[in-house]
Amino acid sequence: METSIIQPKDLYGKFLLPSLAFLASALMFLSSILALPIQMDVQLIFKFWEALLLSSAILLSVSAFRAARGNPTSIQMIKDPKKIRFLIVDILLLLTIFLISFAELIDPKFAINFEGLDATFSYEMIYSLIIFASSILIAKDSIDLIYSYHQRGREVLIVLYIRLFAIIAILILGLIFFTILYKGIGAISWEFLSQPHSKLGREGGIVTCIEGTFWAVLIATLVSAPLGIGSGIYLHEYSKSGRISRLVTIAVSCLNGVPSIVYGLFGLALLVPIFGVSLVVGSIILGLMNLPTIILTTQESLKSVPNSLREGSAALGATKWQTVQKIILPSAMSGILTGLIVSVARAAGETAPIMWIVVFTAAPVEKIYGFIPDVTQPVNNLCFHLLQLIYFMGAWNVETNAWGTALVLLGLVLAMNLIAIIIRNHYRKKVSW
Amino acid sequence: MPQKAFGDKTIWRLYNARFIESLLFLTAISSIVFMLLVFYYLADNGIQTFRSFGVIDLIFGHKWNPYNNLFGMMPLLVNTLLVTTLALFINMLIGIPLAIYLAEYASPGEKGILKPAIDLLNGVPSIIYGLLGVIILVPYLQDSFDMITGRSILAGGIVLGIMFIPFMATICEDALHNVPHEFKEGSMALGATKWQTIRNITLPAASSGISSAIILNVGNIVGETMAVLLVVGNIPKIPTPVVDIFDRGATFTSIIAGQMGEAAAGSHHFHSLFAVGLILLVLVTILSVIADQINIRIKKRFGGY
Repeated sequence: METSIIQPKDLYGKFLLPSLAFLASALMFLSSILALPIQMDVQLIFKFWEALLLSSAILLSVSAFRAARGNPTSIQMIKDPKKIRFLIVDILLLLTIFLISFAELIDPKFAINFEGLDATFSYEMIYSLIIFASSILIAKDSIDLIYSYHQRGREVLIVLYIRLFAIIAILILGLIFFTILYKGIGAISWEFLSQPHSKLGREGGIVTCIEGTFWAVLIATLVSAPLGIGSGIYLHEYSKSGRISRLVTIAVSCLNGVPSIVYGLFGLALLVPIFGVSLVVGSIILGLMNLPTIILTTQESLKSVPNSLREGSAALGATKWQTVQKIILPSAMSGILTGLIVSVARAAGETAPIMWIVVFTAAPVEKIYGFIPDVTQPVNNLCFHLLQLIYFMGAWNVETNAWGTALVLLGLVLAMNLIAIIIRNHYRKKVSW
Repeated sequence: MPQKAFGDKTIWRLYNARFIESLLFLTAISSIVFMLLVFYYLADNGIQTFRSFGVIDLIFGHKWNPYNNLFGMMPLLVNTLLVTTLALFINMLIGIPLAIYLAEYASPGEKGILKPAIDLLNGVPSIIYGLLGVIILVPYLQDSFDMITGRSILAGGIVLGIMFIPFMATICEDALHNVPHEFKEGSMALGATKWQTIRNITLPAASSGISSAIILNVGNIVGETMAVLLVVGNIPKIPTPVVDIFDRGATFTSIIAGQMGEAAAGSHHFHSLFAVGLILLVLVTILSVIADQINIRIKKRFGGY
C-alpha cells in the first residue's frame, strides 16, 4: 500500500513540478495549434516557445530526480531502466530543440521545397509542428511522473485525448455555424428576401430562388411520400418475409447509397428528353432521392408499434387495412412525420442532382389559376443560386449576397431538422407502450 | 346468420382490402423499378463509350482530354483515392474519439445537448461547406503552403473530412451504444478501468459496426459532389509524384458536375461522363452491399441480447 500514499515530503517533487511541466505542455499545445491560423508574431512566439521548452525540460529532470531520490521504493521507474532511458532521451530531445532554436542555427527564411511538389513548407510551419509534437511528449512524461508510471496515468492521458478531440470537433462544427451566421446576417434584409436578383446576382434578393426551392420540394414530397410510406407499410405489415420483400429491401439500400449526382445523370438521361428542363423533372429526381429515407424511417417507426395493438385490433374483427389505418398509422405517425421532414430538409439542400435542370432566372414562378405552379417551366433554386454566386465570386463582388443566401439556406434546412428532432423527442417522452 | 356475415358491405370491404393491398404492393415494387431504371439509363448511356474506346483504354488511360477525345479515367481514380484517403483519415481521427466520448464519457446533460447538435449539423447542405472551403480554407492553404492556388486535393480532403464528422460520430456512437451492457459490466466487475473496458471489450465488440460505418462513410465521401467540386480545382491529371496532394485534381463526381454543362448531348464527352457515373454507381453500390452484409452479421451475433 506504500506505493499509493503520497507523503508530504515528496509531494513537491512528485506532484507540483510535473504539474507545472504539464501546464507548460498545455500552453505549447494550444499556441502551436493556434499559431498558424491566427498568424501570430513569429519572433515573439518563438521566444515564448523557447522559454517553455527550457523550463519544462528542467522541471521534468528535477522532478524525476527528486522523485527517484525521495522514495526509491515507490518509484517503479527505478526498477525498469528502460523507462529512465526513455525519459532521458525525451529530455535531451527537448534540450536539442531548444538549443537549435535559441542559437538560431537555422535561418528563419529556411523552407523545404520537395521535388515536384507545388507547396513550400516554411520554417514557421515545421517549427510549430515540432512544438506540437514535443508538447505531447512533455504531457506524456509529466503525467507518467505524476502517477509514478502507473496504469492510471495512461488512462488519464487517453481520456484527455478523447476529450480534446471531442472539443475540437465541436469547436470546428460550431465555428462553421457561427461563421455563416456572422457573415450572412449583414446581407439579410426585407429587400433581400422579397426581391428577385438582378445584374447577375450583384444586386437584388433571392425571392425567386426561395419560391423555386419551395415548389420543387413540395412536389418532390407529393411524389415520394405516398410511394415511400406505402412501401414501408407493405414491407412491414403485409409481407413479413418472402422473396419480394427481400428484393425491395436490397433495392432500397442500394438506392440509399446512390450518390446524388448519379440521380442527376439519371434525370438527364431519362426525364429531360421527355419533359425538358422543367420544375417537374427536378421534383421527380428529388423525390426519387428521398424515397429510401422515407421507406426506411417508415419501417423503423412501424417496428416500434407493439404487436399487442395489432393483435387487439384483429381480435375485434378489424381487417388488416382497418388495423393499419385506424391503429397503427396514428401510433407511428410521429416517426413517419420526422422522416418526412428530414427528407424534405435534405431535398432543399441538395445541389448536385438538379444542377442541370434548374436555371439562373430572376423570373417568378408562373402559376395556373393563381396558385398552382406551371410545372413545365424551368425555375431557380437556392442551392443553385449559391453555386452560381460562388462561380461569379472571382469576377465581381457578390460575396455578401453569397453569405446571405447561404444563411437563408442553412436556416431553412436547420429549422426543418430542428422541428423533426423536437417532434421525435416530444413523442419519445410522451408515448410509452 | 351466415348470409348476413357475407353481406354486400363485407364483400365490398374484402375487395377494398385486396385493392389496397395491391396498391401498397405496387408502391413497394416501385423502388425496385427505380433502381433498375437508374442502372439501365446509366449503363445505356455509359456503355457506348466503353464500346467505342475499349474498356482497358478507358480505365487505365492516363489522359483525360475531352477536346482530343481522350477519356482515360486513371487520373480520376488516383485523385478520388487520394481525396478519400485524406478525408477518411481526418474523419476517423476526429469522429471516432467524438463517438467514444458521446457513448462512454459524456454525462446525460452533455449528451442531451451534443446529440441533437450533431444531428442538426448532419443536415448542413454540402454547398455551404463548399462556400466555406472556397472563401476560408483555399486562401489559407494558399498562404501557408505558398502554393500557386489553394484549390487542391488537400483542400478537398479537408472539407470532406470535416463534413462527414457528424455522420461518423452518429453511426459509431450507435455501434458503441449497441454493445450489450453485460459485456461492459462484466469487465468492470473484473476490475478493469473504464479505458481498459473500452479498449478490450467495447471497441472489439463494436468493431464490425465501426467498420460498417467507415465503409458507409467511404461511400459518402466518394459520392459527395458540391463541396469537392468547388475546392479541388477540377483539373484531371495524375499528380507527380503520385502522392502530391498539393496539386489540383478532379474526382469522379467533380468531373461529372464540372463538365456535364459544357458537354453536348450525345457526344463522346457526354457518354464518357455517363461512363464515369456508371463506375461511381457500381463502386458505391458494392460498398453499400458490403456495409449491409456487415450489419446483418452484427444482428446475428448480438441477436440474443
